[in-house]
Amino acid sequence: MRSRDGNHSFTQSISTLILFVLCSSALFADEYLISYQYTVKDSILYNEKLFISKSMTKCSGKLYKNSLLLERNGLNSFKKILQNNKILFFQYLSKIGLNVQNYETLYNQTDHSFIIITLKTTCFKVDFNENFVKIAPLK
Amino acid sequence: MKYTLVLIAFFSVVSLAAQRENTRQVTYIPPASSSSNTKACSVNNNVTAVTEEATLSASQPLLISVVGQGVAPVNTASPAQAYALAKRAAIADAYRLIAEKVKGVRIDGKDLVKNMMVQRSTVRTSVEAMVRNANIVETTFKEGLCEVEMEITLLRNQFPH
Repeated sequence: MRSRDGNHSFTQSISTLILFVLCSSALFADEYLISYQYTVKDSILYNEKLFISKSMTKCSGKLYKNSLLLERNGLNSFKKILQNNKILFFQYLSKIGLNVQNYETLYNQTDHSFIIITLKTTCFKVDFNENFVKIAPLK
Repeated sequence: MKYTLVLIAFFSVVSLAAQRENTRQVTYIPPASSSSNTKACSVNNNVTAVTEEATLSASQPLLISVVGQGVAPVNTASPAQAYALAKRAAIADAYRLIAEKVKGVRIDGKDLVKNMMVQRSTVRTSVEAMVRNANIVETTFKEGLCEVEMEITLLRNQFPH
């Protein structure tokens, strides 16, 4: 029978492996429903709406290949994390795909334009890690 | 004698007219076929040129580049906020331009003419599309105007029909 000291290196490697797995995996994961819309009237930003809510039922679909990593900066609220990284998140949305609606009226030689950019309500899987969150939509 | 001269003059005029009719050529303008890749473009109300339009082929992807413009609102808290808002507006404009280039524009025009005078003239244009994988190439901000250069690459297999 081998002594405990004899198994020391084996135990150490196992514990290191477990620690590595725990550190690398997400602390917790959630699913969020996000919709976004902004309106531009006569080339000036007019209105912007971002709706975030936790999904009450489990979302179905395949996970989008490219995910987005955002720094947490010690925040727990997903909404606040998104507000802090708004530019990055918006760039990511343009990769996923946005709906464009444009209405332009020329009335007696006076032009009025109205552009609406919309992200239809999409379910995002959000993995909370120690320093960052990983976001990817389900399609 | 007088009558004979008048008759000769009459016959010569009739024969000349008949000759002209025979020499007149009939030109046939074929209707533009749907497969043709030419398009008439109008600049400043003059039909100027027949230009060749880029088409999406199976082997080569098509790169579309547009420049969107946006203006910062007058009452902003800081120059940074003005820049951010103008950029957002410029991005929306760039999206619109991409949608117009790829999908086309719906145009509705209405003119009201009363007593031979135009009372009201309205032109409405609209486009609705879904834009995916558009990239911002360059952003410039000068004197309250933000310009965003945006590119999108189209592949033939993205359009199955």
